[in-house]
Amino acid sequence: MKTLIRFLALAGVLALALLLAVVAGDYGPWYFAWLVGTTMIILIAAAGAVLLEAQASASERDVDF
Amino acid sequence: MIDATVVELSRMQFALTALYHFLFVPLTLGMTVMLAAMETVYFITGKPIYKEMTQFWGKLFGINFAIGVATGLTMEFEFGTNWSMYSHFVGDVFGTPLAIEGLMAFFLESTFVGLMFFGWDRLSRPAHLAVTYLVALGSNLSALWILVANGFMQDPVGAHFDPDTMRMEFSSFTDLVFSEDAQAKFVHTSIAGFVCAAMFIMGISAYYLLRRQHREFAARSFRMAALVGLVASLAVITLGDALGRADYLLQAPKIAAMEGIWETTKPPYEPWKIVALPDDAAQRDVFSFGLPYVLTPLVTHSFDKPIPGILALENDVKPRIVRGIGAVLALHAYATTKDKAALAAFRQNENDMGYGLLAQRFAPDQDLAKITEADLPKVLDLTARETIPNVFVEFWSFRIMVAFGFAFLAVFAFGAYYSLKNQLERHPFLLRLTTWSIPLPVLATEFGWITAENGRQPWTVFGWLPTFQSASSHALGYMLFSLTGFALLYSSFIAAELYLMFKFARLGPQGRPGHTPTQPGPALAGAPGYADKPWQ
Amino acid sequence: METYILLKLIWAVLLGVLLTGLAVMVGMDMGVGTLLRFVGRNDAERRAALNAIGPHWDGNQVWFILGGGAIFAAFPTLYATSFSTFYVVMILLLFSMILRPVAFEYRSKVDARRWRDAWDWGFLISGALPMIVFGAAIGNILEGVAFHFSWDGQYYQDQSFIWYLLNPFAVLCGLMSLALSLYQGGTMLMMRTEMPIAARARSVAMAGGLLAALLFAIGGVWISYLPGFLFAQAVDPAMPATPLGGPQVIMAVGAWLTNFHIFPMLWIVPGLGFFGMIAGSLALAARRPALGWWLGALAWAGTIFTVGCAMFPFLMPSVTAPSQSLTVWNASGSAYNLTWMLAFSLVFVPVVIIYTGWAFRIMRGRVKTAGMANDDHSY
Repeated sequence: MKTLIRFLALAGVLALALLLAVVAGDYGPWYFAWLVGTTMIILIAAAGAVLLEAQASASERDVDF
Repeated sequence: MIDATVVELSRMQFALTALYHFLFVPLTLGMTVMLAAMETVYFITGKPIYKEMTQFWGKLFGINFAIGVATGLTMEFEFGTNWSMYSHFVGDVFGTPLAIEGLMAFFLESTFVGLMFFGWDRLSRPAHLAVTYLVALGSNLSALWILVANGFMQDPVGAHFDPDTMRMEFSSFTDLVFSEDAQAKFVHTSIAGFVCAAMFIMGISAYYLLRRQHREFAARSFRMAALVGLVASLAVITLGDALGRADYLLQAPKIAAMEGIWETTKPPYEPWKIVALPDDAAQRDVFSFGLPYVLTPLVTHSFDKPIPGILALENDVKPRIVRGIGAVLALHAYATTKDKAALAAFRQNENDMGYGLLAQRFAPDQDLAKITEADLPKVLDLTARETIPNVFVEFWSFRIMVAFGFAFLAVFAFGAYYSLKNQLERHPFLLRLTTWSIPLPVLATEFGWITAENGRQPWTVFGWLPTFQSASSHALGYMLFSLTGFALLYSSFIAAELYLMFKFARLGPQGRPGHTPTQPGPALAGAPGYADKPWQ
Repeated sequence: METYILLKLIWAVLLGVLLTGLAVMVGMDMGVGTLLRFVGRNDAERRAALNAIGPHWDGNQVWFILGGGAIFAAFPTLYATSFSTFYVVMILLLFSMILRPVAFEYRSKVDARRWRDAWDWGFLISGALPMIVFGAAIGNILEGVAFHFSWDGQYYQDQSFIWYLLNPFAVLCGLMSLALSLYQGGTMLMMRTEMPIAARARSVAMAGGLLAALLFAIGGVWISYLPGFLFAQAVDPAMPATPLGGPQVIMAVGAWLTNFHIFPMLWIVPGLGFFGMIAGSLALAARRPALGWWLGALAWAGTIFTVGCAMFPFLMPSVTAPSQSLTVWNASGSAYNLTWMLAFSLVFVPVVIIYTGWAFRIMRGRVKTAGMANDDHSY
């Protein structure tokens, strides 16, 4: 039951995201670009930080920054 | 009679309070997004250092946010206190995005910013992360609605003038929100905020790295900021191009002034002036140096479309001024007599009404009805000159902004490169350069605003309402009182802000000056996530 | 055309709701700011008092900003005219409003006595002054303001307001607004702080509630001797929104009570206001601050809607050009705009109320005075 509710909630969020994407993509291409771009910027920054953790634990010694 | 001195003082006050407000806004826009990114990493990896990053940068954000909010209050009310004719004329359209901004964005941002600062111990980790994202969303939505309102001033779509109520009336919400200018300007401005925040975080982190303080903390902050800055500065430049193209299509005088084009040339010859000294009085360059065949494709995205020069624009606008004078006279007749014939006469030229209003200040006693045949050519000349914004200011503020933009791209590129290679500390020059660059993106956004709003002159609503007619008819004493007050209050605020910023940035994340890398301080050694590395 | 009338009416009511929200939420924070120096006798106590509203003042302040924006959109001519008319006080109000957020954020960031003391004075000024100005402005609007419009809608001030702003009736309104804000702020402190701050706050709040009731009664009698405004001709509520060429308006002593004579049911509104003030003070005497808070909100609503009922449909009457007085009918936005704004309000006002309530719930409980001195996350 809990899984089903989660699944439905996720489906709802995805449907909303799709609707937003279609409307924004149609009428406001730059707004759409902002949504996608900002998400991408946050993900790239997060990936950079995670990469640093990986680099730090791989080098096994005091790294130079 | 409108007092030109009072209008000038009102303009000065608005410009000063708006530029001052915008010293703090871009950091708010960008810092909230950076905080969201940092807390995301904390959420994923669970390493306490990312929580500490979120809290420390959050504290600096808070110092900045307070003044941003405070000075934003002024902006919300200054239209009413100083621009009553403007507020009456466009309030039906312009007020709506402002109200929606309060309702939808500012409430969100302000309610959750309290929880973000105070709720660390009271909220679960996912709930706090959600709160931080809502703050970021709220601040950027805020910018969206404000720039939708600003977009209307630049390109008044979604409204029409109603001669019965003597104002612009709202006719299409979607046209207003999806206006070309508002879209491009929102993204340009919001992302410019990301650049400011990225440089701020990168610069302070570089300062720590130079001093070998808080190295773990600084290296991570630097990495994240550099990556955000790199992508964001690319995006800002792209959107700048989009805005330039929107201006080319919608506001020819602005583009002509930005690029210092006096005379129309045969496409695609138009040179891109690298330096020039435009002389507004003589309407020519004292000297200029440019690369031919560059500007036409850059601005028009084609090789065969001309970019109209200032002299040609002034000549072409004269028939519109004549029609505009007719429209205003007909409107006056209709307002006093409600005569159908006067209304019909107004309807014929209603789209040129703004140019008639613009001519008003050059008419005898500011009364269009008193213009004689003999006066007309002079009034036309003066009004046509008036349609062109100050070229010197426009040309140089635009160039400074662009030069900064490309310089930031380079700084971020090198910063990201050496950060990814973990070689930052071998490049002290880059670190020093980054630290010194902290205020520059904010400065660049200020020049951006000068470009956008000086270029809109002489209008408050492009083509419809001249700035000269927009101001409240205050006594001179009122203006001196408020200007002095703002100057005193705002200067003491900036002093307090800078003092606290320097104080807390120097103190660093642990609230005490940093330690040397060879001897990790007690705060470091005791905290899990710091000490979980074998090399520590 | 009937929908346009309905929209104007709805927005007139929403204007009242908005002003009530502003008065309750911002007034509460202002009250705490005014009381700060009196309920907090040392730094830890003052910090505790500040942190009682610390997580919320920013969200509350948005009522003020929303008030500006919503009046701008829903009643553009009122926004354009009223703020320009009261220019110098509006600027003073802005100065104190912009002082407050900075004071919150900066006060406790430096550990120096003079620095903190200076900001505490800032809290006093930025708490008391705006409330007095808010009340005095409403008092002046009741008495009528000197302005007119030229043919193109440009507004002109006929007399510098400095000469009439602080007349006795306006001072009474200003004091009443200050008293209610002290009541609301004191109530909040009773809920969120420990002894002895809460006890000091309680005595001020009770006095504030009773004083407000007294001033409200005096004001009610006074208004029946003041000239009010009346339409002398039939009015078309669906008229185009312009103050130009409207129907004749006359001034008559006691005219502000006309609506109450026509609809005696309206007496309930000031009655509720009274009830809120008196019962609120009694609730505080019985140490029931949560109940007292809601009764305080009722008192504000009763007061503001009493003014609305008395003046309706006038919003800002003009003494020098009465027929150009701003009313609900002639100062509103267009039907299209009011519809969009209403749609946004219907969606977002409940959302805002829900998450504001959630935020208050998360941060509920008393602020510990003892831990204040070395708490980095607090104000």
